[in-house]
Amino acid sequence: MGDKIKSLWRKTSWAWSPDSERESSEAIVKNFWLHWFPAKVARASMDWNYSFWLGTASAALLLILTVTGVMLMFFYVPSTERAYGSIKDLQYAVSFGRLLRNQHRWAAEGMVAIVYIHMARVFFTGAYRGTRAVNWVVGVVLFLSTLLLSFTGYLLPWDQLAFWAITVGTSIAKQAPVVGPTIQFILLGGHEIGQQTLLRFYVLHVFFLPVFALVLFAYHMWRIRKDGGLAAIERVRNERTMAPKATPKTKSYSLFGITPGTSVQVMSSTGLEQSDQVFSSPNMSRRIALVFLIVFNITLLAALLFNAPLEGLANPSVTPNPAKAPWYFVWLQELVASTTVRMGGFTVSGALLGGILLPGFLLAVLTLWPWIDRSPLRTEGRWLAPERRRQNATFAVATLLVILLIMVGVYLRGPYWRIYWPGQPRPEMPRFY
Amino acid sequence: MDFDRRRILKFIGKGSVLAAFLGQIGAAGRAFFPNVLYEPPSRFKLKRPGDYPDGYTLDEAHRLYVIRQKDAFHVISAICTHLGCNVQWKDTEFDCPCHGSRFHPDGTVISGPAPRALDWFATTVSPDGFLQVDSAQEVARDFRLLVGKGKA
Repeated sequence: MGDKIKSLWRKTSWAWSPDSERESSEAIVKNFWLHWFPAKVARASMDWNYSFWLGTASAALLLILTVTGVMLMFFYVPSTERAYGSIKDLQYAVSFGRLLRNQHRWAAEGMVAIVYIHMARVFFTGAYRGTRAVNWVVGVVLFLSTLLLSFTGYLLPWDQLAFWAITVGTSIAKQAPVVGPTIQFILLGGHEIGQQTLLRFYVLHVFFLPVFALVLFAYHMWRIRKDGGLAAIERVRNERTMAPKATPKTKSYSLFGITPGTSVQVMSSTGLEQSDQVFSSPNMSRRIALVFLIVFNITLLAALLFNAPLEGLANPSVTPNPAKAPWYFVWLQELVASTTVRMGGFTVSGALLGGILLPGFLLAVLTLWPWIDRSPLRTEGRWLAPERRRQNATFAVATLLVILLIMVGVYLRGPYWRIYWPGQPRPEMPRFY
Repeated sequence: MDFDRRRILKFIGKGSVLAAFLGQIGAAGRAFFPNVLYEPPSRFKLKRPGDYPDGYTLDEAHRLYVIRQKDAFHVISAICTHLGCNVQWKDTEFDCPCHGSRFHPDGTVISGPAPRALDWFATTVSPDGFLQVDSAQEVARDFRLLVGKGKA
């Protein structure tokens, strides 16, 4: 039975089978599932301790989100009257509907975290030099799409969090100079949050942003191959120095040998050698499958153990107190709440300063970093290279500050957005859910 | 320039296709700006003046506070000028639950990120005796609507 399945699999996925090493490397290109990979891949780039396979984990999350998301589309109704009810149905009436929604939610939050940690890994290994700078920029845009997908996604349940997140989010957009009010108008499809707003965010969430992210993801992968693989390879190359190899003994005399003082010298290669590389199948394909299975099992476990939050039905009359953004946006909430500047009679709203200018500046610096980095090229593909100590410290401190703001927002902010230290009693606020 | 017939026809041909394509993109973009909005009108009726007790009363549906001081009425928006959450009246001040802005009883800012004071709306009494608010029309902070005892 097993042999029959195996032979059926071979018949359907292979038109031919390899007889030699050369033929097996060609086989990878000829197989539909494997032609995405190069025939051979450097051992160094598959090191678990170099990349932690975070990019692969992000891709796995994207796949899980696409599949669970399409499943959810069979049950969700993008109408202000029925959206909340359809989520409640998923929770209580659809078999395994709650599991599906939980997995979608936790995979989404996991993706925000994993994509950021992946970016941090690329930063700390200096893996964005030379032609890889393009892929760094693509990566920054992919991170941004991940955030936008999360933002459009949590509007859809049409609960209190959804409604007030969109109120605040589109009010920030309104603060943009000149075009702000127009942007808010077309995002909302009017002046108030309503049916048009929900439909617009729905189409953005299930079509435009995922397609954009998938196309960009494909380009991200293509770029890795065209840039010659992971930057870990550059480390291997840089560690190689040209050294004379023992001249192979030969009975024939070269012409050079006739001239006194000169003889043939074979130098060792500074590039990758045969022994540095292995076939990508099964060496890489098996590891990718393993990462996908691990990520899938972790999200499934999270979905079994923890329920995705759902607040009360959206109510424009009552703002929850406090109204908190999801953890990955809480640091922005802290910024908009604390950056209003008053000078004499002149006021700059925190919505503009902390909501648009400061995040915009951070994004610009992040995007342009490959051109800001002036460290020697030998730091490429090395974890925490001493020559890049200041850069790495800057990135780490910025990340820690954001984490600090997130902690303050999530754990210390109480009613009316005031700080309550642990142990300090918090006033009871009426809850509407 | 060589204005032979072939060049001109080519220019017209390619140009018209390009113009039609750009026009189509423009038309698709324009569709995202709604012409008809099914939104409530900016002028609406509240309850009769006599139905309001002295002090600050929240009208949840319209997101505003009706303030009565004996026979004098005024209406302050409950929408925070920072990022649009509903402020809450807390005995002596308005507090915003989203980002912690605080406002004086007349709507001016005490502290927090709000860039300006809460809006005051023009208020009248409709012919059939209800308080009527125009949220598109703002008024100064000394505005008071005086309603005689007989009318209320």
